[in-house]
Amino acid sequence: MDLSEFLEDSSKNYRLVSAVPAACLTEDCCLGIDEAGRGPVLGPMVYGVCYCLLSKQQQLEELKVADSKTLTEKEREKLFAKLDEANDFIGWALEVLSPNVISTSMQQRTKYNLNALSHDAAIGLIQYALDSGVQVKEVYVDTVGPAEKYEAKLKERFPGLEVTVRSKADSLFPIVSAASICAKVARDHAIQTWKFVEDLGDINLDYGSGYPNDPKTKDWLENQVDPVFGFPQFVRFSWSTAQAILDTRAVPVHWDDDEDDNKKEVSSVLSYFQRKTEGPKDQPHRFFTERKLVSLVNL
Amino acid sequence: MNVLGSLSPFLLLSAELGLVGAIQSEEGLSQFGSCNIVSLSRYYIDIRSAMPNKRNTKKDLHSNQWVLLAQESVIDVPDKAVCGPVFTRLRNPKTGTAALYLFNSGASQVYEVKAFDEEYRSWFIGQSVQHDGRLLFVTPLDPLFLILPYLIQANEKQGKFQPVDQVIKDEDFPGCSNVLNCTRTLQSLHHITDEKEIGNRKFYKYNQEKTLGWLKKKAEQTVKALKDTSISVGGGVQSSMLIRNKPVTEVTEEDYLRYAHGLLSDYIPADLSIELRKFLELPAVPTKTAVGEPPSKKRKISDKPVEAEEDYTKFNSDSKEKKPSKMTAAQKSLAKVDKSGMKNISAFFASKNKAATKSI
Repeated sequence: MDLSEFLEDSSKNYRLVSAVPAACLTEDCCLGIDEAGRGPVLGPMVYGVCYCLLSKQQQLEELKVADSKTLTEKEREKLFAKLDEANDFIGWALEVLSPNVISTSMQQRTKYNLNALSHDAAIGLIQYALDSGVQVKEVYVDTVGPAEKYEAKLKERFPGLEVTVRSKADSLFPIVSAASICAKVARDHAIQTWKFVEDLGDINLDYGSGYPNDPKTKDWLENQVDPVFGFPQFVRFSWSTAQAILDTRAVPVHWDDDEDDNKKEVSSVLSYFQRKTEGPKDQPHRFFTERKLVSLVNL
Repeated sequence: MNVLGSLSPFLLLSAELGLVGAIQSEEGLSQFGSCNIVSLSRYYIDIRSAMPNKRNTKKDLHSNQWVLLAQESVIDVPDKAVCGPVFTRLRNPKTGTAALYLFNSGASQVYEVKAFDEEYRSWFIGQSVQHDGRLLFVTPLDPLFLILPYLIQANEKQGKFQPVDQVIKDEDFPGCSNVLNCTRTLQSLHHITDEKEIGNRKFYKYNQEKTLGWLKKKAEQTVKALKDTSISVGGGVQSSMLIRNKPVTEVTEEDYLRYAHGLLSDYIPADLSIELRKFLELPAVPTKTAVGEPPSKKRKISDKPVEAEEDYTKFNSDSKEKKPSKMTAAQKSLAKVDKSGMKNISAFFASKNKAATKSI
């Protein structure tokens, strides 16, 4: 798996796809979707799809793909190699969501939450398969959030497809297991060979699992805080773990849309009726106030 | 950089913005009446304290770096100049309180200092962060504005011709006498005073009529400048975030003159501002109502008893007849929307619990 292009510029999402098997363009296929790296505070989240000829599902099962969580990293690598070799009837596509994109999406003015981000990545990959001419008929998805709602959303978006959304789909359907292996392998690659865009000098790369509850990860985060900039782009700023560390260890930064009520206390209604101490005559002309120009007394 | 590019006659003084250098002050100006720009090269201005022993241990709340926009001539230092540019506190002619001004090197011209100051802004300057995002403007000022209040006051108190250096004296702001050294000051004093020459000495007395004539010319010049720069002077509700560039409604000459009068009033004492308004024949209240404001309803005075014009009783009647409200199609479709992970609207009014932070 070659993720070098993503790692060169890890601030953006990246899509990596296999060649589309010729048979998939003519025969009916099923498609599985799964994700890796939803929970960690570090690194990208990877969405994977795997599609396979409906007629060759038996062969897929013979590859003994199983839920990626039950496998060791080596076993996953081996299985991915097998999937990649079976390129006469299996194809795959990956969407690598940069931690930077996750941070900025979740923290922008109009919030774009992780569920919506996940759903859109899945929809994008199904659309990719359709656009490439893969004859997708059945779609199996491991759920994010309530399964019924997700299923309804996908069915509405793709009325021509038979969509099945289940929790634990990765252990129920081999095609979802295959997708989960592709996603997990990509995530492991990205984490292990991460190139920091920031000039961090001799950085300690021992950050543990990347999950917020891992003490090693927490220690690493606490040691990486820059008082002004916070963390490198590798870290998902939108995670509460990251936020809590920033709150205590970094310089406070106030944004226009902060819901910081501590600073501005709600004033009593009566205050609007009080006589202003500063008469309107002392106010600068609106030319200045409209332009936020003020006189200075001190520098 | 485009914005800055259009200000070609000005220099931006800041470290890495690529134009000039950084101005830094170690102590800030707060403790000193004025402050000398000591070591001054074309690209770097270093401000040090004039009185280094009187160090204030309290950390200056404000910055130690400023970004300042000034005409190139402000920091030009001729070889023979005795002193460089100096920041000085002088009496603001409108409010009578302290305000910051700047004399260029040789004190041949006085400049006012204004800052663009908006919330939630900071600078990145070189490899440093400046927490206030202020942009300082140093712009030329007619020195007559600064000495006008002193002349008016002297005329009210003594009412006689006096040497000007006796009038422009201020214990609180000793720097004010420097205004007299500006090249234009003595040459243009005749705009606002009567002069008498006795022997070799010149004596001056404030003349309000002349002053109003002079201010009227200023107002006319300002009107021209407002038109040339297409500044919106019309009425109507202005959003504080929005500066209109195009006039939305038809703007009358009176609007322009009123706006110019308002601008000038920021530079003259309040009493004189009222005199000037009369002199410019501007009514105290705008003749046309502000745009967007409905004409005020006035009840006609009559002997008839006052009766309600509308029937309010219907609101008091029993509301039992009210049918159970049905949801509209739009409300129904709204109810179907996936709200997982969304905050209830009442959550925004609940007291904030800091511990409950955003989570995945």
